[in-house]
Amino acid sequence: MAESVEIRPMTFHREVLARIAPDLYMQRHLSLGLRPSLRAFEEFRNVEISDGRLSCASEDSINREGNNILGSNVLKCGKTMVITSITGGVVEENIPVKSEENEIVESYNETDRAANFGQVYPVVEVERGRVGAPTDEEMTLSQRIYNCILHSGLVPKTALDVAVGVRSTDAEGKTTITYSDEQEADGALPTTFKFRRKWTYTLYAKIQVFSRDGPLFELCWNSLLYALANTKIPRAFVDERTTDLKIPISMRGRSAAIRETFDIICDPTSFLPLRLNTSNKAFASNFAVIDLDPEVQLPKDDDDMQDSMPSSVLLADIQGEAEEASVTSTISVVTDGVGNLKHFKAVGGSSKITMDMMRNSIKLAKLRASDLDRKC
Amino acid sequence: MLSAQTGILEQVDGSCKLQCGETTVICSVTGPIEPKARQELPAQLALEIVVRPCRGVPSTREKLLEDQVRGVITPVLARYLYPRQLAQVCFQILESGEPEENYSVKELSACINAAFVAIVDAGIGLKFSFASVPLSVLGEDEQICVDPSQTDLIKSSSTHVLALQLAAGGQKVENILLFESYGDFTEKSMLQVLQSGEKACVETALELRKVIQHKIQQDFVWR
Amino acid sequence: MAKDIEISTSESKFLIEALRQGLRPDLRKFEEIRDVGITFGKDYGDVTVTMGKTKVHCRISCSIAQPYEDRPFEGLFYISTETSPMAGAQFENGNNTGEDEVLCSRIIEKAVRRSGALDVEGLCIVAGSKCWAVRADVHFLDCDGGFIDVSCIAVMCGLLHFRKPDVTVSGEQVTIHPVEEREPVPLGVLHIPICVTFSFFNPEDAEENIKGESNNEICLIDATLKEELLRDGTLTVTLNKNREVVQVSKAGGLPMDALTLMDCCHKAFKITEKLTDKITEVLKKDIESRNQHSAMLSSENARVS
Repeated sequence: MAESVEIRPMTFHREVLARIAPDLYMQRHLSLGLRPSLRAFEEFRNVEISDGRLSCASEDSINREGNNILGSNVLKCGKTMVITSITGGVVEENIPVKSEENEIVESYNETDRAANFGQVYPVVEVERGRVGAPTDEEMTLSQRIYNCILHSGLVPKTALDVAVGVRSTDAEGKTTITYSDEQEADGALPTTFKFRRKWTYTLYAKIQVFSRDGPLFELCWNSLLYALANTKIPRAFVDERTTDLKIPISMRGRSAAIRETFDIICDPTSFLPLRLNTSNKAFASNFAVIDLDPEVQLPKDDDDMQDSMPSSVLLADIQGEAEEASVTSTISVVTDGVGNLKHFKAVGGSSKITMDMMRNSIKLAKLRASDLDRKC
Repeated sequence: MLSAQTGILEQVDGSCKLQCGETTVICSVTGPIEPKARQELPAQLALEIVVRPCRGVPSTREKLLEDQVRGVITPVLARYLYPRQLAQVCFQILESGEPEENYSVKELSACINAAFVAIVDAGIGLKFSFASVPLSVLGEDEQICVDPSQTDLIKSSSTHVLALQLAAGGQKVENILLFESYGDFTEKSMLQVLQSGEKACVETALELRKVIQHKIQQDFVWR
Repeated sequence: MAKDIEISTSESKFLIEALRQGLRPDLRKFEEIRDVGITFGKDYGDVTVTMGKTKVHCRISCSIAQPYEDRPFEGLFYISTETSPMAGAQFENGNNTGEDEVLCSRIIEKAVRRSGALDVEGLCIVAGSKCWAVRADVHFLDCDGGFIDVSCIAVMCGLLHFRKPDVTVSGEQVTIHPVEEREPVPLGVLHIPICVTFSFFNPEDAEENIKGESNNEICLIDATLKEELLRDGTLTVTLNKNREVVQVSKAGGLPMDALTLMDCCHKAFKITEKLTDKITEVLKKDIESRNQHSAMLSSENARVS
């Protein structure tokens, strides 16, 4: 009657196990002292960067006609590819009446730190083969990069000021463009004309991610940094004849003169490099903290090895589905090579983040940052 | 410094209005309720987190706040108790207390604290208690400012938010749930911030416990 | 609104029967509104209005913008009414496409913006290039019926309470003076529209009401959530203290006697008067409490006349 039930251990192929039990797959690897990607615990992936020759300002641009990209970067890391392109626009600033007499005063604002820094508006797109409203991940990434750029002080506000030139047409119909800062040398600044308005550039960064394979903030940030480093902003000028246009209007018995918006024209041939605050240049790295499950450890031949196994380990540069799914505690560091941190984020899920791990992650991030800086 | 009232809203299961310095938020928690099909998780409680700004329409800034709050409350909720259920956690910022376009530390920390009280008010299972403080580092001498005022905040060279998982009646620090910093700082100053933050978090936790103690006394007033 | 809430048959029968006998669950009379509570926050233009258990928060803010090209002398004014699950689990976050949500925001829009309650020409700074953009963000906190009425009060209180920073204009340049530097200036509010919502119930069957002689439908003012769920028709009248009808909105539902409309307007006017007085009184008190030190700090001296 009683049939004996035989229990046999099942074996799965590596890929199958990774899919159905990513945490087990991960723990098995860790017990071997390796990660699913076969990297060591504290080993980073290599990154390859190039400017992709997308920018209209670069000499060997592959596309010059109708191109409005001012800076670009293509970053490859593992199977992930990040393409960053910087575009820009010009906006008018509101200047208070008071500053009229003493020109525009440029001074460091002590009481509002963020007011001294310019912003870059990033839009992250993670390509998934379909279009639609941006996902939560894309929105949080964009906002985090925005916050980080603003508070790191990488782009000084003054770097985004537009030094407006004037295009004048002389009697023979020949047009020349004069810029105030270029004119200073021969002292022939047209004194008849003074701008009472101020313009600034706004920079937008479109960051496209192909084949997502792990957390993206660090890749996007590094790519954006490289792109900003080779960004060149075009010179801009207004036509002499449009400097003081007023259009009278009247409506329901009221009348006023409306000053027409200036037509600011960007020079397609003359560019200036974007002046970045290089001391604030910092690169991002990420880390994971994961508890080792003693039950999943593979049997060891050597007995005293068992005791030296720590209860949790720090992994550098999270990659792949298995790692991302089984990791709940992460650390993300933005730093330069000498330890000036710009951003730090530790999220503790179920694994405890210890002080040592934070110190260790910062140490590794510094090394990584000096490596990445050399590629610039 | 910190004051909170519970049970201020009628249509939700738990609510809390928390005022912390210049910042005021309302948090509401509804759950466990039946989720929409796309939100449902087979073995755990799903979370819907909504942050609504004091002025204007919600933007990516609020999405980031939602993500940060989610990171803090996901590990502390006893989610295995409510499989295939949903909890809605909504925040309405009433007073921001900081320049919204550049900062969000005070709002984030107030939201986390309000969420703690509101989750307790809603009676959803928690594995640990938690508390959060905003911090900033001021000036040349790196003076650490706990819960900075608006004027201190915009002067600061770096801003930090710390949220800790606490045990033993809010006395013992178990783990870092969130530690996020922006600005200009070094490893040394960061670890100092962490230290003073831990102390401030424990203090905040005690304040929050008082609020909950008061709430429970009120709830059982008929005894 | 509140499409996902279900009310049991026995409860609905009880409610209707009670109404037929002239009773409401909260012991109010049919033409009585719930108590309105108005509290102001620290900042200008931050107001919370409660009406019974319904709670709405409104925040007014302003920024500099460019006016529309065809209206160079006018500032901008937006009202945003977005729902969130905070007011009740039946609301979806940021989804304003539901029939009731759209109706609610349209009625508030018409009552306040289209009626010219805010003087938009006063928001003009430099014609055609700079103006103030005022926005009212209505946050629904707690829903127990009557969102339209409460939101309208909240927006109007907010606008009356709000102060915008003072500006100096010289030619093209505009200086915005921070609040600490110069006393901010109030907005130009031209009249205070008040919405009153009537709910109609039909205790007989529908046919009786359309063809019959009796016309004994029940008319309630300021329904609670449960009453809103059971009502057969609704009418919102917006009036101001000058006895002007700003808007009448009756979107379908139970057909009503033409004369009832006049009657409703009369009833609504009494409420309008009462609420307007209440708003002005609360505002006065708030200003007094803000200015309690102004007499001391003032440099004004007693003059001999």
